[in-house]
Amino acid sequence: MLPVASLLILVPLIFAAVTFFTKTKEQAAGLGFLGSLVTLGLTLYAYLNFDSSTAAMQFFESIEWIPSLGVNYSVGIDGISMPLILLISIVIPFLILYSWKEDREAPNRFYGLILTMQAAVIGVFVALDFLVFYIFWELTLIPLFFMVNIWGGEKRVHASYKFFIYTHVASLVMLLGIFGLFYASWQQTGVPTFDIRELVTQFQFFESSLLRDAIFLSIIFGFLAKMPAFPFHSWLPDAYSEAPTAGSVLFVLLKIGGYGLFRISLPMLPNTGNPNLMITILGFLGSFSILYGALVALRQKDLKRMIAYSSLSHMGFVTLGAAGLVTLSVSGAMFQQFSHGLIMSILFMSAGAIQTSTGTRIINNLGGLAKKMPKLTVVMMVGFMASLGLPGLTGFIAEFLVLTFSYVNLPGFVLFALLAIVITAGYHLWAMQRAMFGVYNEKLGDISDINSLQVFSMGVIAILVIYFGWNPNPVLNMMITNSEAIVSLAAALGV
Amino acid sequence: MENLMFLAPELAVVVTGLIVLLIGVFMSPQAKNVLGYLATLGVLAALALTIQSFGTEATMFFGTLSIDALSQFFKLVFLAVSLIVSLASIKYNENSDHTEEFYSLVLFATFGMMVVASANDLILLFCAFELASLATFALAGFEKKNARSLEGAMKYFIIGAISSALMLFGISYVYGATGTTSIPMIAENATLLAENPIGLVAVVLLIAGFGFKMALVPFYMWAPDAYQGSPSVVSSLLAAGSKKMGFVAAFRVFIVALAALQPDWQFAFTLLAVVTMTFGNVVAVSQTSVKRMLAYSSLAQAGYIAMAFVVMTPMALTGGIFYTLAHAFMKAGAFIAAGAVVWMITSQKTGNLDIPDHLDSFRGLGKRMPLAALSMTVFVFALAGIPPTAGFMAKLVLFSSTIQAGMTWLAVIAILNSALSLFYYARLVRYMYFLPPEGKKIGMPFPYAAALLLAVAGVLAMGIWPEPFMQWAMDAAQVLI
Repeated sequence: MLPVASLLILVPLIFAAVTFFTKTKEQAAGLGFLGSLVTLGLTLYAYLNFDSSTAAMQFFESIEWIPSLGVNYSVGIDGISMPLILLISIVIPFLILYSWKEDREAPNRFYGLILTMQAAVIGVFVALDFLVFYIFWELTLIPLFFMVNIWGGEKRVHASYKFFIYTHVASLVMLLGIFGLFYASWQQTGVPTFDIRELVTQFQFFESSLLRDAIFLSIIFGFLAKMPAFPFHSWLPDAYSEAPTAGSVLFVLLKIGGYGLFRISLPMLPNTGNPNLMITILGFLGSFSILYGALVALRQKDLKRMIAYSSLSHMGFVTLGAAGLVTLSVSGAMFQQFSHGLIMSILFMSAGAIQTSTGTRIINNLGGLAKKMPKLTVVMMVGFMASLGLPGLTGFIAEFLVLTFSYVNLPGFVLFALLAIVITAGYHLWAMQRAMFGVYNEKLGDISDINSLQVFSMGVIAILVIYFGWNPNPVLNMMITNSEAIVSLAAALGV
Repeated sequence: MENLMFLAPELAVVVTGLIVLLIGVFMSPQAKNVLGYLATLGVLAALALTIQSFGTEATMFFGTLSIDALSQFFKLVFLAVSLIVSLASIKYNENSDHTEEFYSLVLFATFGMMVVASANDLILLFCAFELASLATFALAGFEKKNARSLEGAMKYFIIGAISSALMLFGISYVYGATGTTSIPMIAENATLLAENPIGLVAVVLLIAGFGFKMALVPFYMWAPDAYQGSPSVVSSLLAAGSKKMGFVAAFRVFIVALAALQPDWQFAFTLLAVVTMTFGNVVAVSQTSVKRMLAYSSLAQAGYIAMAFVVMTPMALTGGIFYTLAHAFMKAGAFIAAGAVVWMITSQKTGNLDIPDHLDSFRGLGKRMPLAALSMTVFVFALAGIPPTAGFMAKLVLFSSTIQAGMTWLAVIAILNSALSLFYYARLVRYMYFLPPEGKKIGMPFPYAAALLLAVAGVLAMGIWPEPFMQWAMDAAQVLI
């Protein structure tokens, strides 16, 4: 059996390193594409050899690294990480195809950074040691920072620094929590270890409930700021909208915050000093993000900013579903991460294509684009419909699961979030109607439709959105298996 | 008769220094280039002897000299810096008439530092401290016709002389109260000091004396000028080597000898550490001279290391000691890289000749001197604590130990500082890689390249495979507890 988990980090990293040294755009894009294809191949290999019926860790590898601190390089894949690895491995090759024909300076760095980002994100997903986890977690900052800082829009410097400082500080708070966890467990057992699963297990034995709460809150703060969830989201609209299209898509694929929630925070939650309070906080943040994101999206003039806020709204479902603590609500939250990644990729690619063709993203300055850009309109329509939750597409499944099953434990918050459904449909349809349909705005001049590579790459993702909308089982099954494990743990403790 | 084999590393250094000084007199300036290689070989031999002697323990010369894990670890630090500096200086001293003086001073300074590392008696410690200081005073002013170099050296000398006086004064109080200068004996009689108000005075004076070398705020005034004005290779020796001498002396004197006064000096170090790291980082943000920026960042790093005195757990001391070695590699390397850029600007005679280490000189360095830019990137990322570098591991152990000791507030301050420092380090990287170059590509001289690669290797080795270094640091910390 291949050591897939390590290879999934190494392959993109090596291709990234080589891509940095290429000279021409064709070489850079070609090598980047090849690297992402190999990664996709490895991911499919892992997926096909994956056993969805067990919540145990698969493809496990462990090598001793710093024995005196109990640090091991240990990696593995389970039902929480597999779908997310699948998501990023699927989208990245199409992202490279999508941006193939764009002209930009330093293409070698552009594609090199995309692959670095992929390696870092997969590294976070497979890491089973807190130190390894944290290293990859921080590594994701670097490509995103440069992506915005170099190729971003007008306010790129402001946006990139804001993003960097905001999430870096949040990560440092998380690091403090990890240290606390590490030492408290060391004191408890007399053996230092950074093993995530071991530390999460040890967590319940710490005597001081204040310590447990402090650790839990500081770690989850890092996750919530990264997702992001209201009120830690203010870096999001700037970073998402100033980033180049590929950068925005990379942000969307940065599912590490939500992943941390499922991998680390949820198993810890039942053992905190006051689990019900924590659940209430999470439920509130989730449902409020949903409503707040939708309301703010409604009044955006800039198409990309609107999509950014709708992303905040969608990520609220992840928090809400996690707080629901029922097998299917947690699975729904996990599925929302997967589905959101696909849908938002289409939306940001569409917004990027519109900006390239028309030179503007202000919704009111567009109009009737469907006449000039029919291919884009079709794909974009799929993305928008999925985003607003039309049955038959992935967004519906995720949101339906979250809302229906979170109702069991958190009826108030679900009702609150339901208000957003109408608004969500409203701003999507309204934006679509103003930008794409109606009379063509002649001021835009003669514009061209998306190129064939873009049609292909966006089309494939759109087809996946439809496919998983009808048949979510290929990824949903493993999510359910793992959610059951998390929830049964909580149920055993009477939460 | 003492077994001099225990002193083999020291002897190798001092004998090489004497040989270099002697034979240099009879050589022509062109032939003197060979002296650099000779000095490097001498340091390399000493380094090998030190590593080979790991694990041996001895006290010599009536207990004034102690060979133990702590002294060996710091000898490793000093010799590593000295190796990098001697190697890089081969280029700096090319065709100079003063090569033999330069190398003998570097070697004598190294010798002084090594003796400080093993000194177990305050008088010996003071003498060795002075030997190292005097040699570095002369080195700092080595460019006789360069006003900045002289200004820095002058400040360094005056403040250094006063600090030495303060330190000696402090030692005299300790001697007056306890009747001995031997560190273990002082520790035994520490109650005499603790019960006497003189003890407090002695602590204050000693902190001032060592604080000067460690460049802690408020004893740092000389550091930015001296680091900026001195030839870069010398700045490298000062920041990476001689600064650590202050730390090893303080480790032995405060933690071993003056353990009874721990509440007093611990309070002082708490204040010094927090103020130093914050001040260093805040001021570094606004610097446009890279060497000056590195000087302030060096203050900040000293502030981090001083946290070891505050936390005082075995983990924290391990972290502090590990940090000194990590810092030695990162800082020595960073100054050498800056030195390579200064060399580029002055030899090309284009750009800002008045301040050759200005940030603008680093524009597009990635294209002009790829190796210098790449290694500088490694060093500044290491200084910022980004994995997988030595700086990350050092901060991991040191900062996390504060949590273990329940001083979360200190960890928060240190971590916020660390986040702030990333700003000015990243700015340098931006200049090197994302701004267009102002000039053509320059070939990298071999000595600089070799020194930089050595430092990069050190930084990465400690970051990727920290286990052996961690073990050495733990053994060294055991000596103190």
